[in-house]
Amino acid sequence: MTQSPFLLCARQELLLAVRSRWTQVFAAVFAGLSLAVAVSGYTLSGGRGVQDFSRTTASIVQLVLLLVPLSALLIGVLSLSPERGAAELLFSQPVSRRSVFLGQAAGLWAALTAAQAIGFGAAGAVIFSHSGSEGIGGFALLFAGASVLTASFLGIAAILSAGVVGRRRAKALALALVIWFVATVLFDILALGLASLLRSGTASRVLIVSVVLNPIGALRTGALLALQGTTAFGSASLAFLRFTKGPGGAAMLLSGSLLLWTAVPFVFAVRRLEKADI
Amino acid sequence: MIRFASFGKAFGTHVAVTGLDLTIEGGETVALLGPNGSGKTTCLKAAAGLILPSSGQVLVDGIPASRPKARQSLSFLPQKVAFPEALTGLEVVEFYRKLRGAPAGRDREVLRFASLNGASERFVGTYSGGMVQRLGLAVAALPDSPVLLLDEPTAALDPEGLCAFYALVEKRKKQGKTVLFTSHHLGDVERLADRFAVLVGGRLAAVLSSTELASRLAERGVLRLRLDRRPENLLEALRPLSPAATWSGDELILPGPASGRPALIDAVRAAGAGILSLTADEGRLDALYSELVGGKE
Repeated sequence: MTQSPFLLCARQELLLAVRSRWTQVFAAVFAGLSLAVAVSGYTLSGGRGVQDFSRTTASIVQLVLLLVPLSALLIGVLSLSPERGAAELLFSQPVSRRSVFLGQAAGLWAALTAAQAIGFGAAGAVIFSHSGSEGIGGFALLFAGASVLTASFLGIAAILSAGVVGRRRAKALALALVIWFVATVLFDILALGLASLLRSGTASRVLIVSVVLNPIGALRTGALLALQGTTAFGSASLAFLRFTKGPGGAAMLLSGSLLLWTAVPFVFAVRRLEKADI
Repeated sequence: MIRFASFGKAFGTHVAVTGLDLTIEGGETVALLGPNGSGKTTCLKAAAGLILPSSGQVLVDGIPASRPKARQSLSFLPQKVAFPEALTGLEVVEFYRKLRGAPAGRDREVLRFASLNGASERFVGTYSGGMVQRLGLAVAALPDSPVLLLDEPTAALDPEGLCAFYALVEKRKKQGKTVLFTSHHLGDVERLADRFAVLVGGRLAAVLSSTELASRLAERGVLRLRLDRRPENLLEALRPLSPAATWSGDELILPGPASGRPALIDAVRAAGAGILSLTADEGRLDALYSELVGGKE
């Protein structure tokens, strides 16, 4: 029976990612840091023992927001922009470029999500054995959010990699690092800087837009909302809740932002690839 | 089978190929020759659907080459192949076999054909450059496609790979399949091709069939004679038949086509000289090629 090119490419990419040192390092670092957060969180705040799920989830959010986009961008660009001879052979086969490319991206997403599952799973097992299951829902939700954030940044990596072969990979990789720095650090600084120059009402609107325009901001806000409700929110975030008419609307808007950040980059990447000379 | 119809390709401001009209019929083996940067690889990649034409079109079996359906008819081997180092040779071939929908068991066959059956369970990262290229050849041999496109196929092959390559092309020729290849090795070209298309600066400079080539080479042949004596006015008597007739030491050099050689021998004998030894060289392909490309190699 003939297998679909999408599934074939996804399976092959998953196999490659599992064997890749980059993915293995990411899984090990993520698991190590997650465990360290779970175990040492209390110690750092003067307490003893393992944190519960709620506290660990709150502590782990920043780790997810930094490591997940970085791994998706770097591993994405390295995997989706093949060497010249490999790209020529692959794209001369009688299958559409779209199937091959999206299949590869799907396989990569599965591998990175599995690597995150190892990290979340290791921390979760230790927490469960010491502190029980209270707050496990938020922990699971953060894992789901990390998985969607992986897809969003793989989409950006796909745009950078579409039709890129050989030596141009280094340029795509450098651009990926710049995008990561802008999305994780610079974007918030610029948004806050701009808001501080504006009047209160306009500043709130700028901050609301900035949350939706950056998938990292969307996940951060969503995670805080899920974990701590409105208690963790400042005035700008409360304005965001007013704008979305409550937590339900906020969750929908943030989910929509993350999904758009996944779908739109892939649409652009596929269009770019279909027009590219290999 | 493959038709370049006013095909042109520009990369930014650089024009790689312009106004190429060339048809390769089913069952033909055609070599694309030309200096570096003459557009040979661009043409081959356009036929493999990897490069989109800037003008004109490239059709494979009447279908634009960029469509996956057109690529069902062909198999392409790039100049230098690469594979993920974390896969074994067998995993690579299995992946492409499934992608092409070739029958199970074909992967073992092509690995044996490429002399890689002993290394099929090893990771590609442990292969030598020649073995990687042979793996590429195995992948290209997987489908029994009507068209084989080969870009500088012998450039990176080791001796085992060369044997496999010649066997593959000769088998495909016997089966009446179409082969289009580029090469800098004129020996390969002479051995395999039915027709030669010469590209210079992205334009088609000449198209010759193997018969035309043989006749062009024969015209560039040289007859060398050693005589028992040098009759007076011998050169003048021979120049109507071989205008460039000359002495080189004790050898009489008579450039000209093979068909004129009996008359030259008769003329030498008529002048009263006896022939001690005779050698005839045909024209060399490299000399003809240099002439066609205008010294741009």
